[in-house]
Order: sequence, then C-alpha cells, then structure tokens
Amino acid sequence: MNNWRAMGTVFVKELKDALRDRRTLMVVFITSVAMGPLVLVLLSTLVGKFEKRAEAREIVTVGLDNAPTLRNYLERQTYVIKSAPADWEARLKDSKLGDPVVVIPGDFEDALAHGEPPRIGLVYSSANQRAQSGVGTIVQLLQGFDQEQGALRLIARGVSPSVMSVSRIDEHDIADNASRAAQLTGMLPYFVMMAVVYGALNAALDTTAGERERGSLEPLLATPAARGALVIGKWGAVFSLGLLIAVLSCLSFIPAQSLLRSESLAALFRFGWVEAAWFIGLLAPLAAALSALMMAIAIRCKTAKEAQANNVVLTLAISTMPLVSLFNQEGETAWNLWVPALAQTTLMNRVLKNAPISPLDVLPSLFICIVLTIAALTFVSRQLTKRAAQ
Amino acid sequence: MIAMDDLRKQFTTGRGRSARTVMAVDGMTLHAQDGAITGLLGPNGAGKTTSLRMLVGLVTPDSGSIAVDGIDMRDDPQAVRARLGVLSDARGLYPRLTARENIVYHGRLHGVPDDEVQARCEHLARLLEMEALLDRRAEGFSQGERMKTALARALVHDPDNIVLDEPTNGLDVVATRALREALRVLRDETGKCIVFSTHIMQEVERLCDRVVVVSHGRHVADGTVASLCEQAGCTDFEDAFVRLAFGPEGTPQ
Repeated sequence: MNNWRAMGTVFVKELKDALRDRRTLMVVFITSVAMGPLVLVLLSTLVGKFEKRAEAREIVTVGLDNAPTLRNYLERQTYVIKSAPADWEARLKDSKLGDPVVVIPGDFEDALAHGEPPRIGLVYSSANQRAQSGVGTIVQLLQGFDQEQGALRLIARGVSPSVMSVSRIDEHDIADNASRAAQLTGMLPYFVMMAVVYGALNAALDTTAGERERGSLEPLLATPAARGALVIGKWGAVFSLGLLIAVLSCLSFIPAQSLLRSESLAALFRFGWVEAAWFIGLLAPLAAALSALMMAIAIRCKTAKEAQANNVVLTLAISTMPLVSLFNQEGETAWNLWVPALAQTTLMNRVLKNAPISPLDVLPSLFICIVLTIAALTFVSRQLTKRAAQ
Repeated sequence: MIAMDDLRKQFTTGRGRSARTVMAVDGMTLHAQDGAITGLLGPNGAGKTTSLRMLVGLVTPDSGSIAVDGIDMRDDPQAVRARLGVLSDARGLYPRLTARENIVYHGRLHGVPDDEVQARCEHLARLLEMEALLDRRAEGFSQGERMKTALARALVHDPDNIVLDEPTNGLDVVATRALREALRVLRDETGKCIVFSTHIMQEVERLCDRVVVVSHGRHVADGTVASLCEQAGCTDFEDAFVRLAFGPEGTPQ
C-alpha cells in the first residue's frame, strides 16, 4: 500500500468532512474571524471618544459666577465653560456625567483679593472612568491659573517669576508611533491565536474521539493503510483548518483598519500585508503543534464530548499565555521565546511594534513546536490500534 | 482461506487491588475454506468478537497463530488485512459523506486504483440492491441502509476472504434475507471464503456449510449442521447447540 496515497486520501476525506460541517464552521468563523476586528473597532470607538473630549476643551463648573478672574483665565485658554446640571453629584456617581466638576466657593474673589488661597473643589468619581480620564487635564489647567496669579503677584512686588522655578522639566517621549499603538493592539495576537485553537479543535476531536464514538475507527484500521499514514493524513487536515482560520483571521484586520474611528489610532495602527504574513508565518508552527496535541488528548477519549472537556486544559493554557506578557513587569525575557504560544505572542507583539526579529528569535519556538508535533503524532499513532478495540 | 490455531487472549481490567483478569479467548481454533460459509456460533460473551479482532490485528493474541491465504499475521499484518474484507461489530459510517464517498474512501485505502474503485462501487450497489442510496449522505440512514453501506465498504477491494461479525444485528426480515442472498452469491459465483459470526441458530442452519461452536472463549465443536446434531445426539439444531456449548445439562457452566 502506497503510504503517500493513503495519507492523501485521508487528508482529502477529513478536510471534505470538516468543511461540510457548515454549522460548526460558521460558529468558528464568527467567533474567531470576525471577533478580532470587532473588538478593534470597539476599542477605537472608545479611544476616539477620549480624543474627542480632549479636543473639545470643555470644563464643567458650579458657581463660576463667583470667580470672574478664573472665568477670564479659562476663556483665554479657549475653554468652553459649561454649568453643571443640578443633580451633578448623583450623575457623576452613576457615570451619566462624563466630566469632572469644578466647584467654586462663594468667597473666591474675596479670598483672592486678600491674598488668601481660595479653595477650588475638583469632584470626580474613581468608579466613573469617563470622568476620571479628564481629571489630569483639568488639574493642569487649574495649576496654570495658580501659576499665572502667583507670577503676577511676584511681578507687582518687583520680583522675577523665574525665582520660583529652580528647574525645568523637558519631557521626551521616545516611543515611536508603532510601539505606542502596540499598547492598544497588544490583544491582537490573543485573538489570532485563539482563532487557530478554535479552527483546529472541532476537526481534531472529530478525527480521533469522533471516529471512536461513531464506531468508524475499527473499520478504518481494518484497511492495510499504515497507522502513521492515517495519523499524518488526519493531522494534515486538522492543521490546514487551523491555519486557514488563522489566515482569515489575520487578513480580516486589514480591511478592519478602515473602520477605525480614532484618527490617531488609525494613523498608529499599521497592519498591512507584511505584518499579516509575519503573523501567519509565526502561527503556522504553533498551529501544527496544537493540532497534534489536541488529537493526542482526544484519542484517549471515547466520545467527542469527553475529548472537548479534556481539551479545555490546553485551550485555557493557550489563552492565558498572552496575559503573561501583558502582566510581565520585567518586559521580555529570554525564556519567553521557548514557551509555545507565549513565544508567538511575544514575537507578534514585536511585529506590531515594528521591532526587529532575528532568525535566532524564531528558532526556539519553531524547534519546540516541531518536537511537540512529532511526539504527539507518534503517541496518537500508537494509541490508535489500542483505543479502537476498547 | 483463514486459519486460526489455538488462539489465547486475556485482558486485565482495573488497576492495583481491583485488577481482574478475564480470559476472553482460551484455545480458539477455526479453519475456513474458500467457496464456503463458515459459521462462528456462540452465546454472547463467548469470545467471537475478540477472535475476529485478533484476525484483523486490532488485538494481539497472547499465543496461537493466524494465517490468511498462507500468510502469517506476525510476518506481514498489512498483507493479511489486504486479503480480508471485514464487517466488524463497529460499523460506523461518516454521516457527512455520501454512501458512495464512504465506500470509495475505504477502496482507496485498500489500494484499489481510482479508475476501478467507482466501478466496484456500482457493482456492489447492484449486488446489495442499494443503488438509490449511493449519492445520499449517510446521516439519516436506517439500520439496514447503514449495514448495506458498511458491507459494500468492506467488500470494495474484492477480498478473497470475508469476515462478518453478527451482520444481521438490528436488521428486519427483508434486509436479513437480502444479506443472506448476497452472501450466497459471493460464495457460489466467486468462491469466497466467508466467516460469519452469530448467535442466531436459524441463520446458521440456512446459510452455513460448516459451523464452529465456541463457548467461554474455547472451540468446543465443529462440522456441518447435521454432523453437529449427530454429535450432540439431538434432532433439533438449537438443542444440539445448547448441549455442545453449555454441557449435557444445558445450563451455562
């Protein structure tokens, strides 16, 4: 029996079988291919709203009539002054009001005239994220007023305002556009990696535990085809499906960019054909290893349901890997590149940051994935006969 | 020709203290000739399915030998499997494939050339009266339709030796008759060696040229239906079987 022919026959059959399972395919397609771009668009809408607020230069106040000097300052800063609604405190708590509120006491001008520091209240709720995001800007604005008044007093007394400042802070943000955007797009690798998992999972279960459950494994093993050829054919189909979904998922980000609501995010987020090709190249070995591992877990199970429950451990492990890099305060460490899934996340993030990747960075995970694939497929091949008769 | 000699197999279930050893097959001998239907008759749990699984190579015997057309299983299991057409106890189909695709898949795995496999498929569909089924997906097939498809799948490579494990399970009278007729055609017109495992007396009486009676994993008697009746000293074949399988008292030992 020609092993290549058997391999090809099994590959074509399993692929055809999986592609005819339209309902499952549709669910996988929606969850893994459409999900990433959807989240990206939602995120950009959020960022867009923040940007819009910053551009709007609005300040919400209570009792500003008591402080004409402050009003004059704010108007000179081209801020639009809005009066807070009557129930502003309750609205802030319920997150219905999206701006912090500046409260001016009645004796503001009086205190200012007598050289006493008037107290300005800045009210926000740390549980109200929208309002909290504006606090920094308002504090800076009010500090500007404070400095201006102080400087005027010094000048009136014939003292240079520079006496008050012994040093100056020059801020330099050395992050380039790509790495700044990567902060926001850091979850992209997570979505494409989960796409691989979900793309391959059903086929992995169906070709192993599913065969046992249907009672079709025993007749299959009664053919003279070599066990290895059967297993490689099955794995090839599972791997192809995982990779197909990964490719679709990666490519779906390209058109999704045009839907980005935030202009600066759209300018920062550059996901073109080159990035997509890098992603696919990095994901391919992972898809190979994951397909083989899922089959190895599933072949021990009598039903697809049992296999699915057993595969949750693997799915969970994969889905927590990107979190390691997200929460890792030390930044990238060398061992990251040796752990499957974590290595791919790390490298995909580098692609997004436009950081250089050398072949030496890719080799560890490639090596581990190849070893895992071979080990898992050997295991499946050995278990096949044993499990068929159980 | 199929020859199984003094096969033995024991299984261990459970682990540690709860481990139990079960002797599934304990001295099984069966010789099936070409151009004849050999019945493997035994009560439930007699070791029929395990014996047939050993024949296919799914279970490795602890001792004994298996040869098909003179080829020893231990020397070349793939060549043995290539000479066998097996309708096993598990006869699951792929529900999303059509009957034809199910049959052709196994044909290709048996190494049947592409140009021949379709012709074989059509031929078997005529023999088993299942032409109307060929291009329907297997999901929703009745028991009988499933069995016919599985049988066609087992015969697609035109094997010289056919092994059927309780093929009439779940079939109605019409389907059973059709199957019996198909097996007669295969024996008389093509001279196949057919082994047929069952626990139903009537099937054996109507179909088998020779019968091997097994009980508790052991070969207890063999011969034609008439010679077995004579051996047991009974006129009725059912009485003869019970006496041969369970002893003179007719109760399980």
